[in-house]
Amino acid sequence: MQMDLNFIAFVMMGLAATILSGVMITRRWPVSAAMVLIAVMTLLAGMFGLLEAHFAAVAQIIVYAGAIMVVFVFVMMLLNLPPEELRFGGITWGEMVLIGVGILAAVFLGTQVGQGLLTQGLESMGVAPGQTPAHARSLYFAPGENVKNVASTMFVDYLWAFELVSFLILAAVIGSIVIAKKRSADNANAA
Amino acid sequence: MLTLPELGLYFSFLLFLVGLAGVMFRKNILFMMLSVEILLNAANLAFVSASRITGTIDGQVVMFFVMAVAACEAAVGLALIIALYRTKASIEADDLKALRG
Repeated sequence: MQMDLNFIAFVMMGLAATILSGVMITRRWPVSAAMVLIAVMTLLAGMFGLLEAHFAAVAQIIVYAGAIMVVFVFVMMLLNLPPEELRFGGITWGEMVLIGVGILAAVFLGTQVGQGLLTQGLESMGVAPGQTPAHARSLYFAPGENVKNVASTMFVDYLWAFELVSFLILAAVIGSIVIAKKRSADNANAA
Repeated sequence: MLTLPELGLYFSFLLFLVGLAGVMFRKNILFMMLSVEILLNAANLAFVSASRITGTIDGQVVMFFVMAVAACEAAVGLALIIALYRTKASIEADDLKALRG
């Protein structure tokens, strides 16, 4: 019964996230699109929670729905844009056919080739399809251990990647300040 | 019956399609960046689902790196939007023709 409730909640949150992202890309006002996107990210945080990635769920709300979307809304307010009229941007029928072929190829690769590779990999670990490895489950998905396991993996196996990402953030912050700064030539033109 | 992480993979595919449609059909750079956020979130959902399927924690760790790179991308992208709006007074992708794109 518990499992069924989780399943129903997961399906509803996934469908709501998909529908709301469809709503988001058809908004005319940027700020209302940002608000809908915050709802999508909160729903995704709920899905992460049901997948027992609790730290990921919390970080999704704090970092994505909090920090990143606030930056977006700041910039929207700064630019003070008028609402945009929706246009179906110049896609011809040939391009539509190509897009459809691409989607079908993605479905085929994902469900046939990807599923086969996944089953093969799990079988090499001695796991039946649809099952989680027992030792891994006890190791990584014990109740209340998620943060500890994420931290021990991130700061042992992925330490170099972590440090490189911190340098990337530093470079991005400095770069964005330099890009968005008013240049003295602009001031001379404006004056 | 499908398990939760397998369903998560399907939902990440659907979300990716919606975000891709947003990037392709909107002409406003701000909306294109919001759609890119949907794409990154779909990838995150796939990472977490794969982490749950294989029973390893690595997918969740990579998800945090994706999140950090998304923050960098938003910072630099929005700074570019501000700079473009200052020089062109427009953030329509069609108006940016300096490189004959």
